[in-house]
Amino acid sequence: MRDLLNEIWNSVRNNKLRTALTGFAVSWGIFLLICLLGAGNGIINAFQGSSDRFVTNSMDIMGGRTSLPANGYKEGRWINLDKGDLDIIKGKEFQGKVDKVAPVTSGVSDKMALGVKTVSTSMRGVTPQYLEIEKIQMDKGRFINPLDVDQRRKVVVLSTKHERELDRNLVGKWVSMQGISFRVIGIYHSDESDWRTSAYIPYSTMKGIFKPGEEIDDIYITFNGVSNLDENLELESTISSRLKAHHEAHPDDPNAIWIWNRYTQNAEISQGQRLISIGMWILGILTLISGIVGVSNIMLISVKERTHEFGIRKAIGAKPGKILSLIIAESVSITAFFGYVGMGIGMLACEIMDKTLGQRSMNLGFDTIKMMDNPTVGLDVALEATLLLIVAGTLAGLIPAWKAAKVKPIEALRAE
Amino acid sequence: MALIELRDINKTYNNGQPLHVLKGINLDIERGEFVSIMGASGSGKSTLLNILGILDNYDTGTYHLAGKLIKDLSESQAADYRNRMIGFIFQSFNLIGFKTAVENVELPLFYQGVPRKKRHEMAMEYLEKLGLTQWAKHFPNEMSGGQRQRVAIARALITKPEIILADEPTGALDSKTSVEVMQLLKQLNKEEGITIIVVTHESGVANETNKIIHIKDGIIGQIEENESHSAWDGTMMK
Repeated sequence: MRDLLNEIWNSVRNNKLRTALTGFAVSWGIFLLICLLGAGNGIINAFQGSSDRFVTNSMDIMGGRTSLPANGYKEGRWINLDKGDLDIIKGKEFQGKVDKVAPVTSGVSDKMALGVKTVSTSMRGVTPQYLEIEKIQMDKGRFINPLDVDQRRKVVVLSTKHERELDRNLVGKWVSMQGISFRVIGIYHSDESDWRTSAYIPYSTMKGIFKPGEEIDDIYITFNGVSNLDENLELESTISSRLKAHHEAHPDDPNAIWIWNRYTQNAEISQGQRLISIGMWILGILTLISGIVGVSNIMLISVKERTHEFGIRKAIGAKPGKILSLIIAESVSITAFFGYVGMGIGMLACEIMDKTLGQRSMNLGFDTIKMMDNPTVGLDVALEATLLLIVAGTLAGLIPAWKAAKVKPIEALRAE
Repeated sequence: MALIELRDINKTYNNGQPLHVLKGINLDIERGEFVSIMGASGSGKSTLLNILGILDNYDTGTYHLAGKLIKDLSESQAADYRNRMIGFIFQSFNLIGFKTAVENVELPLFYQGVPRKKRHEMAMEYLEKLGLTQWAKHFPNEMSGGQRQRVAIARALITKPEIILADEPTGALDSKTSVEVMQLLKQLNKEEGITIIVVTHESGVANETNKIIHIKDGIIGQIEENESHSAWDGTMMK
């Protein structure tokens, strides 16, 4: 073993340029592969993070504006959801399918004040179910409870962002919105996106003070026992047609009722993630192949350069197997060493990506997501890729090694 | 039985035009002989040497080396026989450039699987014998031609082979060093009884050996006994 290492070290030391070139090809291949996979993972994680914010078996139902005339009404009529819609969704037809139902009424954006400090915010009137449907994480205190709704309490749940801007210890303090004082009962966790910065107050309080009348802005529902895409789409269209009927809209009107189906959206995102993942692997494998071709090319040159040396070795008694194993051991040592160097640099680059691109957000209009979230590769993938490169490099080196082992000693000795 | 026994050896190269190089070689060389094979270029002497050295194969006939039939050997077997029975000395030395003198001398033992320490001791012993102790750690390109050839001789001797095959051993040396190298071979033959076959086209070199075998157009011609080294005027020509 020590003799073999010695031989390898000798030939590496005496062929610095060749070794450096081989090493560069290998390092570069692995480096690019790791960076690509890291970036791919970052994008996938970012999408994942955005869909993780919702319960995927949920829908957000909103009223729209009719685009077809129906029942004597002209098109262009605004549809406002009301208590009737709530009753339909909670009714017998959807029992066992629809689980939680949460009506939401949004208020106008306005200033919220704590003493002399003010911050601009929007208000949403919600029921306790909203917490679970929208996966709200409470940092401190509690969310709206049924008693708050029943008694129309003037309480508010604020976000960590509000807390940062107003006061460290908001819970228990009184803030004023549109001249009315609300007691802060809890702080929920707001992420980097702007999606959640609303101040949540009880639904009944919102209706009673700011938005009297029947009108409901959104109805959030979760559903049960809908296990595949077809059943899900059927539920969506059934709800849609029942609500359209309730509002006397045309059954085929696509714009009367808006349903944001998180389940189908999630399916699309998953599909997108799969495509990104496949694309990255294809690119990565192509890069690897170029690395492999590089290694095999340089090994071929190396073997050609050393034909005379192999001739000498054979003349003094080296068996073909010894020559073969010498070349392969050399190629494996070089690829392994430089492969790991490339892997290390690649992982470092991923960390840099995480620290820069990973902190930037992208505005998609309806949502804001991070450009990349944790753009790194697992150690297992990195090791697999390196192992693959070593194996492939060995295979690539095998042909030149075989050629060198096969050549007759007199022919090898004649080569210069 | 002679150490080397060649019976009706034929060899034809088939590179486009078939070229019949050896046309029935019959030759016996006894243990302890110091012979030269002489011939002009194209006479077949190099081919004969390659066959003797198991570097090349032959078409028909038989070749016995130390009683073993050398025919249709696998590459590994041939390598093993070369390693244990034959020591080579080449015109261009054929040392490995990135190995030191002592590493070059060790190499045949490495392929025999001799442990590192033993190998090194033996190599140093042989280098000492050839007066190269202080050059042991030097690379070939740091040595003179004569020194390099002596390293090559040490490498050929280290496996204690049956025969030493020298292919134009003085071809790349000046006349003074040539004389020294030939004296060295002569001494090895006389004092250690090593069988040495020198292939050369120089009559001066051939004259240093005890028997001169002339080869011409692929057949053995005259075989001269030359114990008195008087086949020519006794001086080496260059």
